Amino acid sequence: MDLYYPDGPNEESTIMNARLDQFSVRSVPLLALKGITKRFGGVTALDHVDFDLRAGEIHALLGENGAGKSTLIKILAGIYRPDEGTVWIDGRPVTIGEVTGADRLGIRVIHQELSLAPNLSIAENLFLGRELTRWGWLDRRAMEEQAARWVAELGLDDIREVRTRVRDLTVARRQMVEIARALSQRARILILDEPTSSLAEAETEVLFTVLRRLRSQGVGIIYISHRLEEIIQLADRITVLRDGCSMGTQPVSSLDQKELIRWMVGREIVDRFHRPVWNPGEAALEVRNLRNPKIRDVSFVLRYGEILGLAGLVGAGRTELARALFGIDPLHGGEILVEGRPVRVSHPADALEAGIVLVPEERRLEGLVMIQSVAFNLALPWTAEWNPAFRPDLRKRDAIVRRALEAFHIKAADPAQCVGSLSGGNQQKTMVGRWMEHRPKVLILDEPTRGVDVGSREEMFRIVGSLVEEGMAVLLISSDLVEVMNVAHRIALYRDGRILRIVDANRITPEELMMELTGARVNESF
Amino acid sequence: MRVFKEIGPLLAALVVLLVLFGLWVPVFLTPPNLIDLLQQVTVNAILAFGMTFTILIGGIDLSVGAVLALVGTTTVYVLTLGAPEASPLVWLGLACSAGLMVSAVFGLINGFCAAQTKMPVFIITLATMLIARGGAYCFNQARPIRVPAHQEAFLALGNGRLFGVIPVPVIVMLALFAAASVLLHRTRFGQHLYAIGGNREAARFTGIRLARCEIAVYVICSMLTGVAGMIHTSQLYSAEPASGIGFELNAIAAAVVGGTSFTGGVGTLYGTLIGAIIIGILDKGLNQAGVHFSLQYIVKGFVVLAAVYIDVRRRT
Repeated sequence: MDLYYPDGPNEESTIMNARLDQFSVRSVPLLALKGITKRFGGVTALDHVDFDLRAGEIHALLGENGAGKSTLIKILAGIYRPDEGTVWIDGRPVTIGEVTGADRLGIRVIHQELSLAPNLSIAENLFLGRELTRWGWLDRRAMEEQAARWVAELGLDDIREVRTRVRDLTVARRQMVEIARALSQRARILILDEPTSSLAEAETEVLFTVLRRLRSQGVGIIYISHRLEEIIQLADRITVLRDGCSMGTQPVSSLDQKELIRWMVGREIVDRFHRPVWNPGEAALEVRNLRNPKIRDVSFVLRYGEILGLAGLVGAGRTELARALFGIDPLHGGEILVEGRPVRVSHPADALEAGIVLVPEERRLEGLVMIQSVAFNLALPWTAEWNPAFRPDLRKRDAIVRRALEAFHIKAADPAQCVGSLSGGNQQKTMVGRWMEHRPKVLILDEPTRGVDVGSREEMFRIVGSLVEEGMAVLLISSDLVEVMNVAHRIALYRDGRILRIVDANRITPEELMMELTGARVNESF
Repeated sequence: MRVFKEIGPLLAALVVLLVLFGLWVPVFLTPPNLIDLLQQVTVNAILAFGMTFTILIGGIDLSVGAVLALVGTTTVYVLTLGAPEASPLVWLGLACSAGLMVSAVFGLINGFCAAQTKMPVFIITLATMLIARGGAYCFNQARPIRVPAHQEAFLALGNGRLFGVIPVPVIVMLALFAAASVLLHRTRFGQHLYAIGGNREAARFTGIRLARCEIAVYVICSMLTGVAGMIHTSQLYSAEPASGIGFELNAIAAAVVGGTSFTGGVGTLYGTLIGAIIIGILDKGLNQAGVHFSLQYIVKGFVVLAAVYIDVRRRT
């Protein structure tokens, strides 16, 4: 997909020049890791990893969950110390101490969970911890003026009103504030960990524009993402980690997506996602004129044995629809029918009773009890079965847990281990797998692959796919258009709380889909 | 065995304290003294059981001290209505029901407000604490009400001894401990409380009815407080409207020393029982050692800090 450059082709050529300079001068890399090794008990998380980052480069770090990316970032952030190996900055060996140490060296990590104070303004956040004062009093005007200048320098016109409170900003803009803060503190090495996981496509492009501009200004950027398309668009070089080892570094231009996936996973995934055979049966779920403040008259039919994809931009209200169907948010009107019979859903317990399961978007907030074990989380929905009255039957519980672990290939060393210690992919499989003890009639998956590696995605869709072939009905919500188009049989185009239309997945191209989801949006809301 | 891994350090601390005070105060480890100790622990232990439930789901109940006083005054007030020649057991039944009703109502108010409104429980129970305290002062012009002497059964609740050895309140406390343990550790309800405390939203998404559980927790906490209030009143031979001040803090201390985490989702009832006994040992031991009460508070404060510190370190 072509990207939009606000400053025209000129800027691109200066970027090219800047990059050529870098290559021709062969200056010392901005950041170099040599032989970095980190062990946790008996497990080697990183095994003699070499990595280098040049100034003015976007370097993608790729790997499945558990490959060692997070450990590497934590070493750069000073949270972990490497057992072996050295970190070099500007050709000098450094020791990264606690988090402030990383700051002083100009390294900043922009996390998936943003670290801004939501109740403070953009300007206040930019100056957090180093507020300007005059006679001991806060000098708000000076801070706001300076903040506005920084924002303008970055070309972040979106956040120009620096007195806006951060909590009134969209996730995308908060991220911009975070980047602005890092740069205002003279960060030269930016690490972005899954920055686009909660951004809509249009917002992603804005982010990319900013990142490209930073690259041209000589900032080194380490970019971590599961979205290969993005990496191919954006990055200059790619380093792949697999099982704690570096698989080497290559320039992006030498690779296409398929090669990249093979390189990363170590085997070729022929079909990226497996779409189950479409054999629609009776209507499992029928929704008629559903309404509440976020949903404006939604009707659709979901049949047994099919996957209906709900495609839309972030903020289109798809999660709100799922929440209403599951009885979390109240409905103001409309009907929900399961197998043709109307059901009243005013609490998740009602929805579960009717055979509807929702696997929510936010693993950490809504999905799992992170402080409890894998077994606790897997057995929780079925407590009534293994603990009918005062007599918990642990053998029965363990059997339930074992079945879920096996059915979804959840990789946990011990069911008693804390679920928070599993990788993102395995946590996600835990969230889906725990509902399969008794199959639901309708399974609603809300962003099931957010922060999940390619291998786990593929595995999960294969399992879900076979369940669909056995007759389950699935409503799939995903911001990853390629995923929706590859997996779903039919696609409902969702925008502003409405279904625009429902089409067969193979009768529409991603470009058409994108046009309808965004193009119309521009016309109407602005 | 997992149980021992969890409360092993606590039990060790308990034994160490017993030995230390045994060396310091010669009479400390004699059986009558230890039985006395258990008797003194009962009220705080029962309050701490209830408190454990609330803290476990990420809540708190600050009203227990005041509800304890209100239950006392209500119960004894009803007792005094009965003429001496009337059947004491009938009036005892009426009085205890009235007392438990009052506590249940406060539990319902706390629970309902916590579950159905967005008010923070800290503030809700702070308010109901004031209301209950005011309620307690309404009786007998805010003066203590003596328990009628002919109500022997009621006085036995706090002071009687089974076979002349085991104090009745200790038996009551252990019975409540058993019942509450079964409820928390062996039922679906208990399992759900751990899920709610660990992650409210996740619990909701697995179909757990949060509101019901939450209301039940506050009613349980309040009703346990009701029983504790009756024992306390019986032990004082009179209902003191000003009694129970600061009891909620002691109960919280017992639960926390026993390993209940303030962030919710972590804690056990046996831990709380041991926590209450540890607090009791400190109170009684320091008293018997002749330590000035000002210093007793300071020591207790440091023990709570140390317990929480160790707990936090162990979990991270």
